[in-house]
Amino acid sequence: MKRHFDIIIVHFKTEGSMEFYVTASIVLPWIAALIIYLAKNDTVTNVLSFLMLPILGYFAWEVYFSNTLPMLIETPKWVGSLITIYDFGLLGYFLYQGMKNRSILVSALAILQLALLVIVVLMIQHSDTADIYVDKLTAFMYMIVAIIGVPIAIFATKYMEFDEKGKHSFVAILIWFLGVMNFAVSVNNIEWFFALFETTTLASFVLIRFRMDKEAVNNAILALWMNQIGGVAILFALLMLIKTSGMYHFTDLLSVDPKMLSLAALGFLSLSALVKGAQMPFHKWLLGAMVAPTPVSAILHSATMVKIAPYLLLRISPIIKGTLLAKLLIITTGFVFVAAAVIALTQDNFKKILAYSTISLLGLMMLAAVVGTPIAITASLILILFHAFAKGFLFVEAGVLEKVFHVKYIKEMRRLIEKAPLTLMFIFFGFLNMTFVPFGTFIGKWLMIEEVSGFLSHGSYILLILYVGAGSAFLSVLYMKVLGISVRKSHGIEKIKLTPLPLRFNFVSVWYYAWLFALTIFIAPFISTQLVPIAGEISGGLVNIHADGLSLIINHSTLYFWQIMGALAILLLIHALPFFVHFKNVDTAMPYNCGEAFPRHIETYNFVCISKYESYIIAFSVALFIMVLVLGGGLL
Amino acid sequence: MKFETLMFLLTLFAPILGGLVYGVERIVKARMQSRVGPPLMQPFYDFFKLMDKRPLMVHSLHAVMGIMYFIACWFSLLVLFMGNDLLVAVFFHVIAVLALTIGAFSVRSSYSVIGAMRELMHMISYEPLMVLMVVAFYEVVGSFNLKDILNYQGIPLFEIPVVFIAFVLAIPMMLHKSPFDVAEAHQEIVGGPEIEYSGPFYEALYTGKWIEYIYVFFFVFLFGGSHYWLGALLVVLVFLFVNALDNASARLDFRRMVKFSWFVLIPVSALNLIFLSLWR
Repeated sequence: MKRHFDIIIVHFKTEGSMEFYVTASIVLPWIAALIIYLAKNDTVTNVLSFLMLPILGYFAWEVYFSNTLPMLIETPKWVGSLITIYDFGLLGYFLYQGMKNRSILVSALAILQLALLVIVVLMIQHSDTADIYVDKLTAFMYMIVAIIGVPIAIFATKYMEFDEKGKHSFVAILIWFLGVMNFAVSVNNIEWFFALFETTTLASFVLIRFRMDKEAVNNAILALWMNQIGGVAILFALLMLIKTSGMYHFTDLLSVDPKMLSLAALGFLSLSALVKGAQMPFHKWLLGAMVAPTPVSAILHSATMVKIAPYLLLRISPIIKGTLLAKLLIITTGFVFVAAAVIALTQDNFKKILAYSTISLLGLMMLAAVVGTPIAITASLILILFHAFAKGFLFVEAGVLEKVFHVKYIKEMRRLIEKAPLTLMFIFFGFLNMTFVPFGTFIGKWLMIEEVSGFLSHGSYILLILYVGAGSAFLSVLYMKVLGISVRKSHGIEKIKLTPLPLRFNFVSVWYYAWLFALTIFIAPFISTQLVPIAGEISGGLVNIHADGLSLIINHSTLYFWQIMGALAILLLIHALPFFVHFKNVDTAMPYNCGEAFPRHIETYNFVCISKYESYIIAFSVALFIMVLVLGGGLL
Repeated sequence: MKFETLMFLLTLFAPILGGLVYGVERIVKARMQSRVGPPLMQPFYDFFKLMDKRPLMVHSLHAVMGIMYFIACWFSLLVLFMGNDLLVAVFFHVIAVLALTIGAFSVRSSYSVIGAMRELMHMISYEPLMVLMVVAFYEVVGSFNLKDILNYQGIPLFEIPVVFIAFVLAIPMMLHKSPFDVAEAHQEIVGGPEIEYSGPFYEALYTGKWIEYIYVFFFVFLFGGSHYWLGALLVVLVFLFVNALDNASARLDFRRMVKFSWFVLIPVSALNLIFLSLWR
């Protein structure tokens, strides 16, 4: 399958507004972060992080709606050399951290990467392809970073004032992280991509160990070595690409016949995506991230870091589509989708539950990306966007719970409806977004089943349907269980106390709520006018999705607007009514308890029976990983 | 009469229809136990009696969720009948489960909370099977559209017989009938999610259950394709079978239910699907 690129080569030095917007999107967060870091002043921090929202949003908007996409931007030669030097410096720093913390794994992997990088630098041929490539997918990621990522930094400016140290450096790192993410999604050169990939690793390392206690440092080291495996995989892929075809740019790979390419290289690239996307058995690093302040989890789970994984697979999906590698990836990621949802049932820490559901849904996003048909890619984009919104939202609320209401475990969430009704309503809405009709995540799953039903010729696709059906059932159970614990009321309490929350917390919550609400109402036109062109550009095919008014039409199936509105109305009533409806003229009665004393605490199922099998599940996922690499990558 | 109008009227009168089905069911069950049983209209007599009772509730949230369960059930039936897309209808049903469980979780009664947890186990058991069944229909008919299935010239039953059997065995899970009535379990947890409802609020829940009858048996009807007599025959046979099973079997543990669904029903349905797609 040949892809046609409207290549517009624009020189970096010439005056062009597009280059300015792209460069600004990348560089501005770095500068802002530096200023915040150096100034260490409350006003500067707060104002700058607030300013980032309109500014980055505007730049992303300009890039997204410019008609010159896709475009290649050439950079001066010194930038390439600088990045290579930076690479060595970064790996040197990892080595230093490995030595300092006496972690053999970190040091060994850093040395391995250094050695591989030296070979790469020696072998690499000069290529005329530009190193920056901005297309609609990139602009889409800019949008996510601006609209979903920046509010987390704003949230952090208040969060860190609740007995935490180092507010300014913390916010600075968060904003820098956004810049790194913007850079990572706009590079074309895989060597540069490696540098940015490792920079996100560095950023997460610094953020996770931010509190600097023993647990934080241990978990940061864990995240470091696990993500370094992804780096090693990228370097292997790079080596093979250079050896077999001499190409190391995404656009070059996409423009040649996929049969010419080394499958092993693509296998390694996918492997790095799986590691970054915290797929089992590499999921421990994402769970470890919860020891850090909550904004870290919010930013890792929503706008940055893990979203690189589906991004990378979306980039290479046209060339791996339909191969054995793709089918094995479907089996692996789908397995993670179900397994992580099942394991999440056994957890009792609210942040851990959210982390497992991220792992699970990342599996689904990657699965959709590797299926690779135009509709599947649309599904993947929908999942990326709505998951980012919902997870950013939920982690922000988790932060509010932690700081204002001192709730960390779901055991402590019982009767939250009396203590924190508004926060519970937001959490309820976030959970609804993760699974129910008519919200984005549901649409993604629905698209997947609709699409895959059309070509059930291979066993992996039937497995896929089973995965999607089962995984979404397990996730629904998970969310209903958590919600169920928090809505429990003691008998007869009718007055609800509203605890006043800090303004910035409310701003961020309402920001996410309003976006999710608006996007869900206009979901059909939004998908068909905004996401479908991106999917069309990635897959190079016609996407058979369009909107008729507010109804969404896919192939021959329709999701009517009255269905969307009806479901939305019912769900809004369900999640908001507890606060507004009081039957005045109805007598109340005590619950029936068969003459026994009223239970002080009512526990819920903790699914211990599943946690017994956790090690088997992980062993199985290791086997799947090896299978992907060995069979899919054609190493045998 | 146009198809849409018919379907809309059917949805509108679904509570009455469901009530009649429930009345018939009580008579059938009674005859199976050599009893005379209540009159056919008994559910409606109950309805008026309950509406007339003094409304009592534990708290407003709980009462509201009962009403929301009824609305969500009715709406999911509307989606099934009017919406054309079966898959969407299956996912709509989850909203009803959400309202039911949130309501049941919200009271401080151990029976209700245990019932809610078991209700979730029910959902884990039948939800993936429903998705598989709808995809099996797609494999046969080539469309998720309700009209296409009702106009299909062949007989879906003969092409996906295993899926049909699996679905029939899953009906007791959906309608809370023995051996899989673990969420209600009258002798054990006194009705589970229903226990704290009374008067008009209980009536909402009760009517919601009637609608679920229509919802579930309509899927059975679809296995006849365009041969409506076959569909009707299937509905009657399955109705008798489910009630006979309900009468003849004892309640199983909920673990057994989940295991039965996950290790028997779902794999055989998937196998049916795989063979069907390979056969083509």
